[in-house]
Amino acid sequence: MSDGYLPYAADAEQSLSADELLVLQRQYERELPQARIQTKFNYAWGLIKSPNKREQRLGVSLMHDIYNEKAERKRECLYYLAIGYYKMGEYSNARVHIEQLLALEPNNAQARSLRELIDEKVARDGMIGLAVSGGAVALLGIVAAAIFKKRSN
Amino acid sequence: MTPTSEITATFKILLIGDSNVGKSSIIRRFTDDKFLSPEETNATIGVDFKVTMYDVDDKRYKLAIWDTAGQERFRTLTSSYYRGAQGVILAYDVSSRETFENLENWIEEVNTYCPSDDVVKMIVGNKIDKETEERVPRKEGFEYARKHQTLFLECSAKTKVGVQQAVEELVNKIIDTPSLWRKSSPTKGTVSVDESVTSGLGSGCAC
Repeated sequence: MSDGYLPYAADAEQSLSADELLVLQRQYERELPQARIQTKFNYAWGLIKSPNKREQRLGVSLMHDIYNEKAERKRECLYYLAIGYYKMGEYSNARVHIEQLLALEPNNAQARSLRELIDEKVARDGMIGLAVSGGAVALLGIVAAAIFKKRSN
Repeated sequence: MTPTSEITATFKILLIGDSNVGKSSIIRRFTDDKFLSPEETNATIGVDFKVTMYDVDDKRYKLAIWDTAGQERFRTLTSSYYRGAQGVILAYDVSSRETFENLENWIEEVNTYCPSDDVVKMIVGNKIDKETEERVPRKEGFEYARKHQTLFLECSAKTKVGVQQAVEELVNKIIDTPSLWRKSSPTKGTVSVDESVTSGLGSGCAC
């Protein structure tokens, strides 16, 4: 029956429509300067789900505020901060936040799944880095060989 | 049966209901045949996602099961998760009348986001293994489901009873309702997880 387990974070992949995000933004702005935590959280969540980097960054910043303001929101803030950084390509920041959540809840399957996604990206980027630096070394070799050849001529 | 790797269709199934009724445990029992003690589980944050294969009549279907958080603080966020869903499971805890009475709110939410009658709905009473005097009678659950024209089953994610049947009955009903999925899903070839997740964007349920 089961085909095993796939790492996945639904909230990282699926964005809201522009209309939906606008609703959350309006609710938030209407309540300023004293927006309720729930309203702020909803807007931050919507922003983090966005495909747009600037919106993701704003979402992460609001989520950091909530994290500092409300202790009981800690676990979900850590989760969404990890998603936000993951989507922005800041994998070491993503790792820091998901590890903090896993320190509180070591058996949390959702958090483990997200960590796996982050680790996959880190590994892939590492491979690319290796390929690039490997290529650079090869290129350096060719250049050095060419210079050497020129000199010996 | 020799299931092929070819996927006939991908179905999106949403699981909703109050917090602590055992939604994640039902999914876990169905996909991994495991049950975790309450100390080992954590409340779902926002939404979790499981994918599994379902083979029937020599055909293979991919089930994308969306496990939503029941906590009030995530309630205002759930509407977006309904997109493209072909099936909705509404879960309650038979040992907690409050969770049964709250089905009214959940039904209302489903009818708002999935206005089509085609979307297959099922009410599932979980935790029938629990010894309690205040148990919601099976008959009452059944009558409630009939009133709202949904499927109905009682189960226990802990002892395994009814879980498989619940999901199978729901999926078979989806298969029997081709208008739900024929138009959007390719009849041949594989559908990746990402496609299945984003295919419903912009619309409500698959209706």
